[in-house]
Amino acid sequence: MEPIHSYTDKKSYIDQIDPISKLLFAFVSIFITYLFSSIPITCFVLLISIVLLMVGRVLRKIVPLLAISFTLLLSIIIVQGLTHPTNEMPLLTLGTIVFYQEGLTFALLITLRVFNMLAAFGVLILTTKPDDLMESLMKQGMSPKISYVFLSVFQLIPQMRATLGKITDAQRSRGMETEGSLMIRIKAFFPLLGPAVLSSLNMTKERAIALEVRGFSSKGKKTFISEEKSYFYPKFVRCGLIILLIAAIVWRIVG
Amino acid sequence: MSKIRVEGLKYRYPDMDSLVLDDLSFEVEKGAFIGIVGENTAGKSTLCYALTGLVPHFFKGAYGGNVLIDNIDVKQSEISDVTSKAGLVFDQPFSQMTGSKTTVYEEIAFGLENSGVEREEMRIRIDNSLRLMDIEHLQNKNPYDLSGGQMQRVAIASVLAMKPDVIVLDEPTSQLDPQGSDEVFQVIAKLAESGITIIMAEHKLEKLAEYASKILLLHKGKQIAYGSPKEVFSRDDILEYGIAPPVYVRIAKALKLKNKAGFYPITLDGLKQQWNVGDE
Amino acid sequence: MMAEINVRELHFSYYPDQEILKGINLHFKEKSAAIIGQNGAGKTTLVKLFKGLLKPVKGDVLINATNTKEITAAKLANQIGLVFQNPNDQIFKSNVIDEVKYGPLMIGFTEKEASIQADLALEAVGLRGLEQVNPYDLSLYERKMISIASILAMDTPIVIFDEPTMGQDSQGKERIKAIINRLRQEGKLVLSIIHDMDFAADVFERAIVMKDGQILLDGEPREIFAEVELLKEAYLEQPNVTRIGRELGAERVFLNEKELIDWLKIQHATLQ
Repeated sequence: MEPIHSYTDKKSYIDQIDPISKLLFAFVSIFITYLFSSIPITCFVLLISIVLLMVGRVLRKIVPLLAISFTLLLSIIIVQGLTHPTNEMPLLTLGTIVFYQEGLTFALLITLRVFNMLAAFGVLILTTKPDDLMESLMKQGMSPKISYVFLSVFQLIPQMRATLGKITDAQRSRGMETEGSLMIRIKAFFPLLGPAVLSSLNMTKERAIALEVRGFSSKGKKTFISEEKSYFYPKFVRCGLIILLIAAIVWRIVG
Repeated sequence: MSKIRVEGLKYRYPDMDSLVLDDLSFEVEKGAFIGIVGENTAGKSTLCYALTGLVPHFFKGAYGGNVLIDNIDVKQSEISDVTSKAGLVFDQPFSQMTGSKTTVYEEIAFGLENSGVEREEMRIRIDNSLRLMDIEHLQNKNPYDLSGGQMQRVAIASVLAMKPDVIVLDEPTSQLDPQGSDEVFQVIAKLAESGITIIMAEHKLEKLAEYASKILLLHKGKQIAYGSPKEVFSRDDILEYGIAPPVYVRIAKALKLKNKAGFYPITLDGLKQQWNVGDE
Repeated sequence: MMAEINVRELHFSYYPDQEILKGINLHFKEKSAAIIGQNGAGKTTLVKLFKGLLKPVKGDVLINATNTKEITAAKLANQIGLVFQNPNDQIFKSNVIDEVKYGPLMIGFTEKEASIQADLALEAVGLRGLEQVNPYDLSLYERKMISIASILAMDTPIVIFDEPTMGQDSQGKERIKAIINRLRQEGKLVLSIIHDMDFAADVFERAIVMKDGQILLDGEPREIFAEVELLKEAYLEQPNVTRIGRELGAERVFLNEKELIDWLKIQHATLQ
């Protein structure tokens, strides 16, 4: 059976950082890429996420996700390169088709932002035990239901990948060509995406019932089986991230 | 006093036109092992949901009559109070795992955490459940790395740790291979012996005939029969309800091998005995 | 219509150090076969290799003389159909009729031919009248029937089932038995992974027992199900009817209830 868990304990330095700090990091990092519409800054932020993934020894896990999202982003790159309203400078000419620099620059920024979003959340999800994240959120006062929903959204990705693999196999069995050139692969990919999402959601519904019968919506006080983990100066890390965020905002306004 | 009392239970799902449960009334004694049988549209799963409070608390719709566990009305109670008394095990082992836990040990803890059980007590109960289900060796494994049969035993252990008086199982072996099914039946029989009330919907009638103390036969939401396995499986009209009785009954029937009380044998030993005695 | 599978020295593993299939040699032609064995014995992996969804690490699988290594799974679709164990992994259209017509259309049937095939297939699984329903509004056992219909509609010379009777009640089992018998009469090669020993004994002409990625037993069901000890070694039991016959003193191996009852009736008559 295909495992749907994305976390495995690698005992790296990143595992020592508390889940809330990692969550905060993801938000700060994504926020900065939107705060500055700058390619160098976005690149820099992305680089930090990638370094963290490397330290956490999980970089390889994020690569397929980046590849899938890149195939989805391809259409944006093409459309923006051809038709962005500010297009002026022709950069590349293929026969009668002209790609403009402004559109491609804009598309590059979007691509980098999406990559950073995936990488930053990757740091959180791939180096945090799901249960620890849920517990931390609940201890911050978030309701168990919302915490679980938050968690399931991230679980949905590996689960969907597994389902997508199975559904692809079933359709290959019935004559859908999925092997060969990139074009064939992309053409096969889109019609399968919907059913994979649907099937995963269906499974989530079944799981919701299973949670219910194990007292999930019980209103009493909850306890935790695992002892509280000690993390690397959580307050210090969180403060640092917030200071960084404020500094970035100030710099943006002043500069 | 009966453990469970069902009185005139009627239920219809919100998006359906006809009743899924149509006027069911029966009582279950403490420590009994009840088998629910019927074809796929009989309403077995829905009855399992009604006995554990999912109907009407999770699944809305039209509801009539009462389900009482220890004289407490399920309809009037919080769902978490019902499930702490009557646990539910589903047919699909895979979708019962919480997905937030990375070991079997923690998976079993989930329900206990929700009900606020202290850590020391939790550890005792988890160890106990692991032992009863014979899965101590799996406690540090990731639940998703287990086989279907192992996962199903983890699911039962998770329910067991909540110390319910009643465990309801909805076709728990339908996704398992023969060895996995046998394992599940054996542990459930052990639980019934220890005084836990078992209610189990199942297609494997040979197994039910061996273990169940009573059989509830449903057809299109209606209660057709409620009695001893011998009594129910010996009914001449059983085929009309889409049920093929256990193979021993089918063979005895073909040979007209009834006992004095007018019942067919429901186990291999029973058949052997009756074969040697002949028809009476 | 050709329907032949040839398997030569087949080895397969997902990871180099974990061999799942360890040198399998098999030949299928005409005779329908039940593949039995405990979970993890390698049954599903084997049929995925037949289907070309997986490629051998060593050895060859030939479907009607085509080596699966030299062709994509999609191109094999008109020769071999596979019904998956879990219908949720197969169904992907939003209504029943589109799901069932999808396969035939993909392998070159015209719209009209596909409709006729789909009607016949839905008739066979007892789901006529549900054409416009969304499969996800139906129960799991009905979805299983949809997944069977969608393969039947492709009218391939080879049909493989992975656990067709799972979750089915006695009527469902009878229906699947009828489908398999009909496919056989049409001259198709039918293979099935199956856990239900009584079903395996009753329906198939050949039984293959797998254990730990190897073939432990292969032959006529009457020979195979006589091997109590070897079956035990593969964590399997004899079919109920066989066991009952043995317990009641028969030397013969019975494969279905009729055989057993006929024999018992004769015994009964001679005793009196």
